[in-house]
Amino acid sequence: MSNLTYGQVTKDIIRPLFKPSKLHALAILVSLACLSVGAYCWKVQLEEGLGVAGYEPPVMWGVYITTFVFWVGIGHAGTLISAILFLFRARWRTGVYRASEAMTIFAVMTAGLFPILHAGRCWYAYWLFPYPNQRELWPNFKSPLVWDVFAISTYLTISAIFFYIGLIPDMASTRDKVKGFGKKIYGALCLGWRGTDNQWRHYMAAYGFFAALATPLVVSVHSVVSWDFAMASTPGWHSTIFPPYFVAGAIFSGCAMVITLLIPMRALFKWEDYLTIWHFERLAQLCMLTGAILTYAYATEYFIAWYSDNPYEWGTFIYRPTGDYAWAFWLMVSCNCIFPLALWFKKVRTSLKWLFIISLIINVGMWFERFNIIATSLAHMFDPGAWVYYLPSKYEMGIMLGSFGWFFTWFLLFVKVMPSVAIAEIKEGVRPPLKADEEAAS
Amino acid sequence: MSSNVKGVFAHLDCLMTGIDRLERAGYDNMIVAAPLPRHEIEDALYKGKPSPVRWWTLCGGILGASTGFILQSLTALDWPMAIPGGKPLVAIPPFMVIVFECTVLFGGLATFLGMLYHCRLPTKSMEVEVCDPRFSDDHFGLILKDVDPERRQKAAEILAGAGAIEVTPTVSDSSEADAPTEEAPKPEEVTNVD
Repeated sequence: MSNLTYGQVTKDIIRPLFKPSKLHALAILVSLACLSVGAYCWKVQLEEGLGVAGYEPPVMWGVYITTFVFWVGIGHAGTLISAILFLFRARWRTGVYRASEAMTIFAVMTAGLFPILHAGRCWYAYWLFPYPNQRELWPNFKSPLVWDVFAISTYLTISAIFFYIGLIPDMASTRDKVKGFGKKIYGALCLGWRGTDNQWRHYMAAYGFFAALATPLVVSVHSVVSWDFAMASTPGWHSTIFPPYFVAGAIFSGCAMVITLLIPMRALFKWEDYLTIWHFERLAQLCMLTGAILTYAYATEYFIAWYSDNPYEWGTFIYRPTGDYAWAFWLMVSCNCIFPLALWFKKVRTSLKWLFIISLIINVGMWFERFNIIATSLAHMFDPGAWVYYLPSKYEMGIMLGSFGWFFTWFLLFVKVMPSVAIAEIKEGVRPPLKADEEAAS
Repeated sequence: MSSNVKGVFAHLDCLMTGIDRLERAGYDNMIVAAPLPRHEIEDALYKGKPSPVRWWTLCGGILGASTGFILQSLTALDWPMAIPGGKPLVAIPPFMVIVFECTVLFGGLATFLGMLYHCRLPTKSMEVEVCDPRFSDDHFGLILKDVDPERRQKAAEILAGAGAIEVTPTVSDSSEADAPTEEAPKPEEVTNVD
């Protein structure tokens, strides 16, 4: 980035905004089509009831909860990149953090739909919130499901504000580059930001505190999500390894999703100067690290199950690779533990084509990980008389497809109306214009 | 006409020279506009004095932690379970999860409000000199506020001398034109003009 100038950065990043492109329009259409499939399936579910989902007691958590955990996990990489790497002063973060933060917001927004979809009678979804019923009985704050409400809503609020704060100076840059009505909109959105010394001073202080608050938050959110399972005595869930294991998995899947999103974006917007192979290699290295932690966690889970000498626990763990769901288990192991090993070769992780393919594989694998945890444990609990084989119905799969449509529609709209690479932060990485340099050159 | 003096800089080192010379000449009511945060600007103007936003974060965090704890404790005590399974009604470990989430939520919201308050955002009434599209792109601005008519010429000269590419009012401007109705407070006597 050494040969860039401030003016060039502003121009390059704002240039692709609003410019219609066929490829982008096509992508939005495909996303909207997926979203409509989901909307139709939801309509059927509202009319017919939750029976259209493939639930078979005792399996009352299926694709909806799987997809909920999947999307919450996707969000984690965005906060990791924007907050944790900010505190670590990792320079490569500047190019990728805006898009990853946007991914976080939209992923958590997508995840937030699932408790509502899963509730069946979605018009009672507000029962999730902590307020007393008509007999003045409050919810049980010792329940992980209530923790989940607090964790997810805090996460969404804090990430949204963090994201918005980051956007303020860049929206001001956009305001000064566009004309007409757009100027008014961006002017209002950036709250009249002018980049004065007073503003920057408080801004940078606030930004640092947000990063410091978001860092433990991101770890807590997936820990709380994991407690939805680990607090229950269901075999295969009741384990203290769940929080770290879920957090590592979340970052693994999230980094893969960042790669999946950034590779096409870089080509579409011609941002080769800003999203270089170096950035992608760093992301791939994060995948290598978290993938290795995840593989280790899978192995530890087996060891604990065996070492506990608990027949129910061990039974579930034998059932996973050998029983009805063996296909899901081996799909998970190959997508999460075996294929990503290719990233350990520098040739693979510096090739965008291979990175893109592996990132898709990881996304599939991480969805199946959650499915594997949820479905196998519920289908194979304590009472053999109640064992069932749950398979998702077409309506559940339709709603899951719809969630991808919902996510990508938001993301694609975002990249066309907001600077998806942080202008002010990229400038921080560029050598400032100095008279001394010019004099030395001439 | 405004009693402000504005200099536009294309180079960071010239801007820093300008800040330094103006400070030594006794001008202290200045605004620096920049497209990015630079530590040298903050250090030059605030001499390492931290932003008060941190107090907002602390107070928000403490308020959040207490709200979370009080909410859970009072609701548990309000309807005591007949058989709590030997567990205390106010149980510290499980309560910590919501205490933590509320700490972050309130702390974050307070930080955001504190930032808006201290940055004076949202605003529509910034000094007109600051509202220059170049300052969000690739230029720096140095605006001196409420300068005495007789000292404006001197300030403009310092800015131009430091390497500003544009100075308003221009250096050749005679300062008598915009002297009337000057009500700005008199700055203290300057002794150390170089």
